Amino acid sequence: MMPLRVLLGALGVAVGLYGAWLLLDRQETAQVVEVAVWFLVGVLVHDAVVAPLALLAGAALPRLLPVAARGPAVVGLVVVTTVTVVAIPVLGRFGALPDNLTLLDRPYVAGWAVLVGLIAAAAAAVAVRNVRQARSAAGGPQA
Amino acid sequence: MTARLPLPREAAFTSRLRSAAVAARVGAVLGVCFAVCFVTGIISHWAQLPRPAVPFPTSPAWGYRVTQGLHVTTGIACVPLLLVKLWTVYPRLFAPVPKGARRLLLTTLERASIGVLVASAIFQLATGLANAARWYPWESFSFRTTHFAIAWVAIGALLVHIAVKLPVIRAAFGADVDDTALDRPSATVPGPVSRRWLLRSTWIATGVAVVATVGNTVPWLRGVSVLSVRSGDGPGGIPINTSAARADVVATAMSASYRLVLVNGDRAVYLTREDLLAMTQRSEKLPIACVEGWSASGTWSGVRFRDLLDLVDAPRGAHVRITSLQPKGAYRRTDLPSNFADDDRTLLALGLEGGPLDLDHGYPARLIAPNRPGVLQTKWVSRIEVVA
Repeated sequence: MMPLRVLLGALGVAVGLYGAWLLLDRQETAQVVEVAVWFLVGVLVHDAVVAPLALLAGAALPRLLPVAARGPAVVGLVVVTTVTVVAIPVLGRFGALPDNLTLLDRPYVAGWAVLVGLIAAAAAAVAVRNVRQARSAAGGPQA
Repeated sequence: MTARLPLPREAAFTSRLRSAAVAARVGAVLGVCFAVCFVTGIISHWAQLPRPAVPFPTSPAWGYRVTQGLHVTTGIACVPLLLVKLWTVYPRLFAPVPKGARRLLLTTLERASIGVLVASAIFQLATGLANAARWYPWESFSFRTTHFAIAWVAIGALLVHIAVKLPVIRAAFGADVDDTALDRPSATVPGPVSRRWLLRSTWIATGVAVVATVGNTVPWLRGVSVLSVRSGDGPGGIPINTSAARADVVATAMSASYRLVLVNGDRAVYLTREDLLAMTQRSEKLPIACVEGWSASGTWSGVRFRDLLDLVDAPRGAHVRITSLQPKGAYRRTDLPSNFADDDRTLLALGLEGGPLDLDHGYPARLIAPNRPGVLQTKWVSRIEVVA
């Protein structure tokens, strides 16, 4: 397995360096600097904002919900938060153009609200079922 | 007095869910998605080469619709996958620095490769997602050049990551997802869900993200794709990317003095739209498939492109340069490789779905060719020149 790993690693380094060369070769320095800024900001936004928020949510969950409801809540939150990240460009309609009515032409906030409502309703239904089962037979199954 | 950031220690993360057993499984799917994005991205760049050394095929006509739809859809699928993957491995960010020069060097190199991988993955998904919604929040860099370059960086870093982690990946797939052999010593506290349910949540989130956006390119899912960038509506049932007003062609396109110029060497033929309508009219059902991932199929009518080339005795196998009425823009002038120019399905379209071409669709005349990125299906065509 070791020769394969070394080969794979070397190939990866070569491919990555080719990408770096493509980046540096085809654009002005100011453009490359802006790419570098975005490159770093992306990681910082995740590591210093998104991940700590997920930590806070994880810490708050046990204080807010009974044990039997936590499972469905987590499943619902994973789906809602990640899909919401995908939806940021259309929810903000940042790219909308006044002369193009075929672009960003849906009621995104309403659509997103319906989607979140459906997921929340499904999670709530499972949570209620879990809580009832836990009450009737102590130590019922989690989601 | 020195201020210290209250950084957590790796050992402070106690959830059993943050395990290599979960990371390997989500990572495998994420890796496949990245590979699909990379290959379809390369295909898209190949399709946009003005004079490709290996000709881009004209068949199947729906090929680019599928590869580019897949590119954007798979990229969207990566968002939930990447977020969960990063969540499972987040404690590693705070792992203690090892002692000893050799181990320190190896750890530093590995961490650097992880940094490049995470940064390039986030960069690709963020810029791709923004571009698909025609949102350009950056000032100066070219999306196309940068997204292409960073794709190679991401795939390179991914290969290094797989090479480093191969033993862990094999061990993870060789054992049950609940196996604790690969866990950090502190990861002993059960989570609010099982590992299986964390994985299921990830697959559900990925599926929901895909279904909520893919109506852009899969017409029968338009009803439920509440987050797709386009509803699919537009003149003749086809959306628009650049309007005539934005391209600054309204006056020239509507002008009575409009002439299409066909040029081959010192031969030139001038045609009005009426002249074009008087030629043999053909009809082709061809998709418009945009780099932003949306696509729509339409029945176009107009003059077979090869019939126009015959008017100036252009030989078969000749490359063609097409110029638009638009006064500026990167796609004002495009190259049509010979295999597209000679394909019987390639039209200079004058109408769509039985009506005349809408001004925003390229009136008085536009190019429509099979298996070609929408950005190269030149609108408001004013000049067709044989170049070789």
